[in-house]
Amino acid sequence: MIAGAGLVHLMRLVSPSLPVGTFAYSQGLEWAAASGMDSEDKTRAWIFGILEHSLARLDVPVLARLRAAWETGGDAALRHWTAVLFASRETAELRAEELQTAGALARLLRDLGVTRAAPWLTHPRRTYCLLFALAGAHWGIGARELCCGYLWSWAENQILAAIKAVPLGQTAGQRMASLLAARIPELVEAGLGLGDEEIGGAAPGQIMASALHETQRTRLFRS
Amino acid sequence: MLHYQEGASAGWRASLDLAFFPSGERTGLSCRHFGPLRVQKPFYPEGETCHVYLLHPPGGIVGGDELAIRATAREGASALATTPAAGKFYRSAGPLALQEQLLRVDRGGALEWLPQESIVYPGARALSRTRVELAAGASFLGWEMVCFGLPASGAPYDRGEFTQRVEILRDGEPLLLELGRYDGGSALLTEAWGLGGRTVMGTLFATLDDASALAAARGGLCSPAAGEDFSLTWVDGIAVCRFFGSDVWSCKALLARAWEALRPHALGRPACPPRIWKT
Repeated sequence: MIAGAGLVHLMRLVSPSLPVGTFAYSQGLEWAAASGMDSEDKTRAWIFGILEHSLARLDVPVLARLRAAWETGGDAALRHWTAVLFASRETAELRAEELQTAGALARLLRDLGVTRAAPWLTHPRRTYCLLFALAGAHWGIGARELCCGYLWSWAENQILAAIKAVPLGQTAGQRMASLLAARIPELVEAGLGLGDEEIGGAAPGQIMASALHETQRTRLFRS
Repeated sequence: MLHYQEGASAGWRASLDLAFFPSGERTGLSCRHFGPLRVQKPFYPEGETCHVYLLHPPGGIVGGDELAIRATAREGASALATTPAAGKFYRSAGPLALQEQLLRVDRGGALEWLPQESIVYPGARALSRTRVELAAGASFLGWEMVCFGLPASGAPYDRGEFTQRVEILRDGEPLLLELGRYDGGSALLTEAWGLGGRTVMGTLFATLDDASALAAARGGLCSPAAGEDFSLTWVDGIAVCRFFGSDVWSCKALLARAWEALRPHALGRPACPPRIWKT
């Protein structure tokens, strides 16, 4: 368990008040909610399924590699892994979200004096994961803790989207949060154990939902 | 790519190398093959474009088999490849079956890769990998259709492993990477975040530089039936259509319609369906 400044920086990095705008994105959940996902059980299956089959197998191992590359100054590795992750976003909305949230986090870090963020502000293959990794390396957050924080902030954002879009009550959201506390560390361990050739994963229903969200008539969310 | 060494595998090994090049008014074909993988004499139903049918007489692959297809369209070449019958990944006694496609298109070349569906039998262990290497200014249109199990024959895909990898690169930079793992009987096949109980999926990819062409193509798509989903998106110059359903004929019809709508924009020529699709 980390303590001290690193822990506080991690809490700040995953706080919904971090000004990067992730709250505006549902990543297909809004389409799913309009297409039959109408209960706490179904929502939990949706969020945990995507967490296990997509984020744990793709984002987690890439985040750990990016964080290591920021620590050692491996520019080629930074470009490679952020290009892999960006190319693994299967829909226009998922890519637009990466560009917007990564740009916002790059700007924030640059304005806080993290000068290495600046070249990525307008890079066409920037990802939120890349800048999240920079923040982790800069603030001395360990790889496991950083990956747990990344999955938590993604899942919390999904829960908040579900509370609005399904809709669900606040207690339903908190029940899911309790389950996440047990599941996230296991998924991080599994993701960190993957070799380079094994990296990648997808939740096909989420990809379909995200693509169909582009033409959904009534939308609160941008993805 | 796979390398074929004597004794490296107990199963069938087959490979096919196709190169398409401009030859007068038409696109010519040179080909080399190893093992039971052939190509019929090409024909030219629309003039310049070379249409070829790929034949795999065994009709399917089992554990330990390795099938590799490499196709290259040179500058100025235009080619369409399809297959006359569904591919099959049969039940494996243990080893993995590999099917690998490496498709290369040079600047100013055009390649269409439109095989029939692949059927993943219960108990199959298979890896399908399709890598598309595009130069700047290369045109590509391709699809993959997968049917899980034979539910109508009482043989659902309740066990087995199927991995599908798709990689599309332009000038060596990844444009689109997909890695799908479909384990027989898994939650991914049944849950809404997965395939939602549908047993057929199809994906079409087309190079498309211009978002206004996407809007035009969208207008030419058909709507899916109840219980099916069909979507179109556009990522870094690649239009992607996806189908989930349980009827392979519906999948083919919707993807063929999308192909018709996208081909004029992706390749600059109207659709000319291969005759074999009608049989």
